[in-house]
Amino acid sequence: MGHKALRRLTILFIDSDKNAHEKLQQALGEGFVVQGVVSIAEAKRVLSIKVPDVLISEVWVGEESGLELCRYVRGKAAFKCLPFMFLTSLSTLQDKVAGFEAGTDDYVVKPFDARHLQARIRLLVRIKRLEQHAGV
Amino acid sequence: MDSGNAVKKVLVIDDNPTIVELIKYAVSLHGSYQVSVAYDGVQGLERVYAEQPDCVIIDVKMPRMGGYQLVRCLRGDPRTADTPLIILSAMTREEDQMAGLLSGADEYLTKPFKPTALNEAIERVLRLTPDERQSRTEYLVRTQSERE
Repeated sequence: MGHKALRRLTILFIDSDKNAHEKLQQALGEGFVVQGVVSIAEAKRVLSIKVPDVLISEVWVGEESGLELCRYVRGKAAFKCLPFMFLTSLSTLQDKVAGFEAGTDDYVVKPFDARHLQARIRLLVRIKRLEQHAGV
Repeated sequence: MDSGNAVKKVLVIDDNPTIVELIKYAVSLHGSYQVSVAYDGVQGLERVYAEQPDCVIIDVKMPRMGGYQLVRCLRGDPRTADTPLIILSAMTREEDQMAGLLSGADEYLTKPFKPTALNEAIERVLRLTPDERQSRTEYLVRTQSERE
């Protein structure tokens, strides 16, 4: 039992900077599969085909607002339990409050520590499972 | 954060003024903490960045930003990722406690609380090192994450 590997998690990552996709995959390592997209429209298209384990987005995706994507996800029953995280360089209190008001589950400020981020993503998945089953 | 023998700053974030007074009384029994208060999650977040407390005591059910969200928000910022955090909640189920710890709280205490228990928890979290906190987080990942 103890020797079983942690489940490989699929991440849909929305960031207009393609280099950021590669960086995130490198930081998270083999336990995570990062699918990067550069626009909110593309993110919605991917979500309509297959729901990932976790959705991670920048707050600004080019000229588009990640907050709008967050509200879209929170407004769909099918994505009620989908963990949503902002991974962003925006770090003011107002930015964070806006993120949580839009419905994000977590808000991580760059630069991030890879080990720390891996742990937070896995724990977030567990928290959403608890919310789903125990109503916490 | 302060170090050494400086008076430690404790921030209490709770929307119930009666509970706040009880916490302030309990903490005063220790005699050497400087206590400040915020009455909702957003005000609490403002105070954290303005005052850089040595320890934060956080309620769960609060207006504007809940306690779990507040904890995740603080853990997600390098400036506050290692701030000692205690959740003090009326929610007593094991699942609630687990959600608090998974969110990043160092301790989860339930109401009603004993002053000694709160002061002991504050002492414990003030002693936690960043490495110890990271080890605890990784233990939670190992024991709580889904496996293949």
